[in-house]
Amino acid sequence: MSDQDNETTVPERAACREFERGLASYLEGGAEPSVLAHAKQCPYCAVILADLEQIRFVSHHLPQEEPPARLWANIRAHLEAEGIIREPVPAWRRWLPRPAFFPSSAPLGALAALALFAATLLVPGRSMENRSRLNAGTAGGGMVAASVAPIGPDENLTRTLSEMEEAYRSRESSLEPTIKAAYQRSLASLDACIHECSRHCEMEPGNTLARQYLVRAYQTKAEVLASALEYGGR
Amino acid sequence: MSADRTPANKAVSETQLIARAQQGDEAAFEALFNTHKRRVYSLCLRMTGDTAEAEDLAQEAFLQLFRKISTFRGESAFTTWLHRLVVNVVLMHLRKKGLQQVSLDEPDGSREEPVKRDYGEDDHRLLGSVARIRLARAIESLPHGYRSVFILHDVEGYEHNEIAQIMNCSIGNSKSQLHKARLKLRELLREEAKNLAPEESELSGLDPER
Repeated sequence: MSDQDNETTVPERAACREFERGLASYLEGGAEPSVLAHAKQCPYCAVILADLEQIRFVSHHLPQEEPPARLWANIRAHLEAEGIIREPVPAWRRWLPRPAFFPSSAPLGALAALALFAATLLVPGRSMENRSRLNAGTAGGGMVAASVAPIGPDENLTRTLSEMEEAYRSRESSLEPTIKAAYQRSLASLDACIHECSRHCEMEPGNTLARQYLVRAYQTKAEVLASALEYGGR
Repeated sequence: MSADRTPANKAVSETQLIARAQQGDEAAFEALFNTHKRRVYSLCLRMTGDTAEAEDLAQEAFLQLFRKISTFRGESAFTTWLHRLVVNVVLMHLRKKGLQQVSLDEPDGSREEPVKRDYGEDDHRLLGSVARIRLARAIESLPHGYRSVFILHDVEGYEHNEIAQIMNCSIGNSKSQLHKARLKLRELLREEAKNLAPEESELSGLDPER
């Protein structure tokens, strides 16, 4: 750097200080004509001004970060535990309109039926022979027995479900066509699932997974029928 | 832009979602969460600079929002309400941690420290194009007091009077802290540019001092 260069920079410093004093106000939109005028003459201050304007501009356009997927799961769990989510929505029902209130006691009936289904499926069957055979040997064998007990035809079960289905059939004509079609698809799918699970349970009495799916399918069918009866009864 | 993406339709849609959430509808809660999650999480992340803390704070903010949503009557924009809530959650957290490292009530000393410049050298522009990622990283390096004001004003678009209210300081101090934050960011970015290898800075668009 030459002496001449140094000589030219020194007198500019006072003007640079003046520039700095007005800089914050200028960046906030204040009327500071001296700031811009000085930046046009001083390459050093011009750089400062350009940098700060660019930082300000880019800050407005920073990319947004995606939170971890577990964040919603955690929030949802809290909302459910605190009762803020008042009625957890089954997946199959999310695409159906929600009734404003329960106009009938159908949900209670469905719940009772549900308990009956679960109890009948999980408690060992009427065969004492099976029960003694499966309970033999180990403490806690009751649970094992319950989980592998064969499913036999149960008149109460089939009658309850038949009654619900019959009630639904008598009311389905009152449903809107799109709602009715949705229920029909859902029930057909559940019937297929029940049929398939029952077949596996018969073929493999020890298949606990098939039994769990079967119980769940019955539960869901009871819920669907109860929901359909709510709509039909409105 | 499709018809259902217009601001008016979006507002109607959000109003419907809020009404359903007020009835405890899970799907509405999830939709509201999905609409706002990125901005909320990003704000938490920038204010704290820590992903785990940001996740916890975003969770807390959404939980507070959903717990209070039944009281929302629509007098103010839902987004404004939400983001004010998020800011309060984050600031409360920072205060509890004692991380208000720069007092917002300290005298304005920005005018006492000259802006760093390199007389006698070619003082090229800091950045041909300020890389957003490096800027985001530099923001995380700011002291918390500077950082909060900078994020609220330059990133989130709050006005100084709003910041003063949120952070319980004067408007003048908010302006002063913002200017200091910008200057500090410039310093941080310049330091980083100096430390980059020439070929790296050339590739990344940086034009470091020589």
